[in-house]
Amino acid sequence: MLSIKSWVQSRGNHFITQFESTSQKLILMFLLAGISYGATGLGAMLLMTLLANSQLGKDASSKHGISALESSRLGGLAVVIVILVYTLGFSLISPYTPGPVRDEAFLYLWCAIFFCCALGFAEDVKPDFLTPTLRLAAKFLVMAALFWLSPKFIPSSVGVSVIDALITLPVLGWVLVTIFAVGFINALNMADGANGLVPGIAVASFGVFFMEYGRPMDGALLFAFTIFFIFNVISGWYFLGDAGSYGLGAILLGYGLLGVAEGTFSAGFMAAMYCYPCVDFLVSVIRRWRAGRSPFSADNGHLHNRLHQFIRCRVSSPVIANSLTGLVISVLTAGFVLMMYLLDALPPDSNLWSLVFAVEVALYFATLAYLTSIQPKTQYTDPL
Amino acid sequence: MRVILLYIIAIGLIWVGVLESAFSSAHSLDDHSNAESIESQLSIRRILAVGFVGGGVVLKMISNDSHRVISKGNEKP
Repeated sequence: MLSIKSWVQSRGNHFITQFESTSQKLILMFLLAGISYGATGLGAMLLMTLLANSQLGKDASSKHGISALESSRLGGLAVVIVILVYTLGFSLISPYTPGPVRDEAFLYLWCAIFFCCALGFAEDVKPDFLTPTLRLAAKFLVMAALFWLSPKFIPSSVGVSVIDALITLPVLGWVLVTIFAVGFINALNMADGANGLVPGIAVASFGVFFMEYGRPMDGALLFAFTIFFIFNVISGWYFLGDAGSYGLGAILLGYGLLGVAEGTFSAGFMAAMYCYPCVDFLVSVIRRWRAGRSPFSADNGHLHNRLHQFIRCRVSSPVIANSLTGLVISVLTAGFVLMMYLLDALPPDSNLWSLVFAVEVALYFATLAYLTSIQPKTQYTDPL
Repeated sequence: MRVILLYIIAIGLIWVGVLESAFSSAHSLDDHSNAESIESQLSIRRILAVGFVGGGVVLKMISNDSHRVISKGNEKP
């Protein structure tokens, strides 16, 4: 019995040693990219590998709660380049006209996305270039302008009578949706801490958007984020960075709000899809506020930090522990919603999705309570 | 210099997918293809160009009425 156990351990260590090698990671990444997206996937993977190895935007491992590697913050830039190359090329050589050229609302949305990306990119290239207050104010300004110019993004009903009554009031609705939008973008940025967590949510979301609408732009987003997801989970050499997480937050927010406003998706569906970043953001803000700190000060008290510590004690490889953390959370939340959608278990406009959201929230608090009970307190709540 | 060459190769490979998507859309418009002819387009060339997932993405773009919408130069509303 002991010999079987030691054999399993030795094979496991052998596998981890193999997986830790750079060449093995590269082979696996390019193989998966080639199988899923052919020559196009190989091109996107090569582009991401080259950008990850450039000196620009390098981040020391000590700056992150989970990552043990020196990583690049230019994941967002890599995704933007892939999307731009694909969309511009497709627009040039086919009759396809992208949404921003045709529709005023999409134009304003993509201007807001571009502004959020630029705001984050400045931070990625030169950390603390802008003060947190200035960044927050800029995001408020951009989102307020977006919803003022395009009120069609403001849903008329989310299925909760109190909120419905408030958002239908002209100015109050605009203010509330703007606050929600800025909070959501910050939530996604805050959740970008484990390999595959935010990219996993992005892949599931763009998968649903593409299957629902069939828009080429959604196809390009799904492609770019799938390649990034593969890269991020296997290597851990990339973060989305502020450019990626602010831009992705703005895209998911805009598409989600528009889907709810047009009645394609219920608010419960979107809540279930984006459950982790939203709930973790609210819990983190309340935790810091109760500790007398700034709500936006960084710490290691997130559920993904605690879950990572739990997995890290059982898995020797830091990259595998990091990626498992992100995968477990994204698969159990957005991945589960994607699976339900693919199986046609519930129509996307059903209000029953609120129950799925409620189950996800219950799972979040149960896991957090369990991990809090078995882990030391101060290690996770002290500011970084 | 070698890095620049690698960047050019990367962009060129992404363009393979652009060309395949554009070609499939145009081909679909010319043929007024039905579901059966769309299925037959899932050839080895497409698998090599855009892979298995990408093949599904291209199929979705040219089917599900989006080919009609693309012919007007619009995305599906």
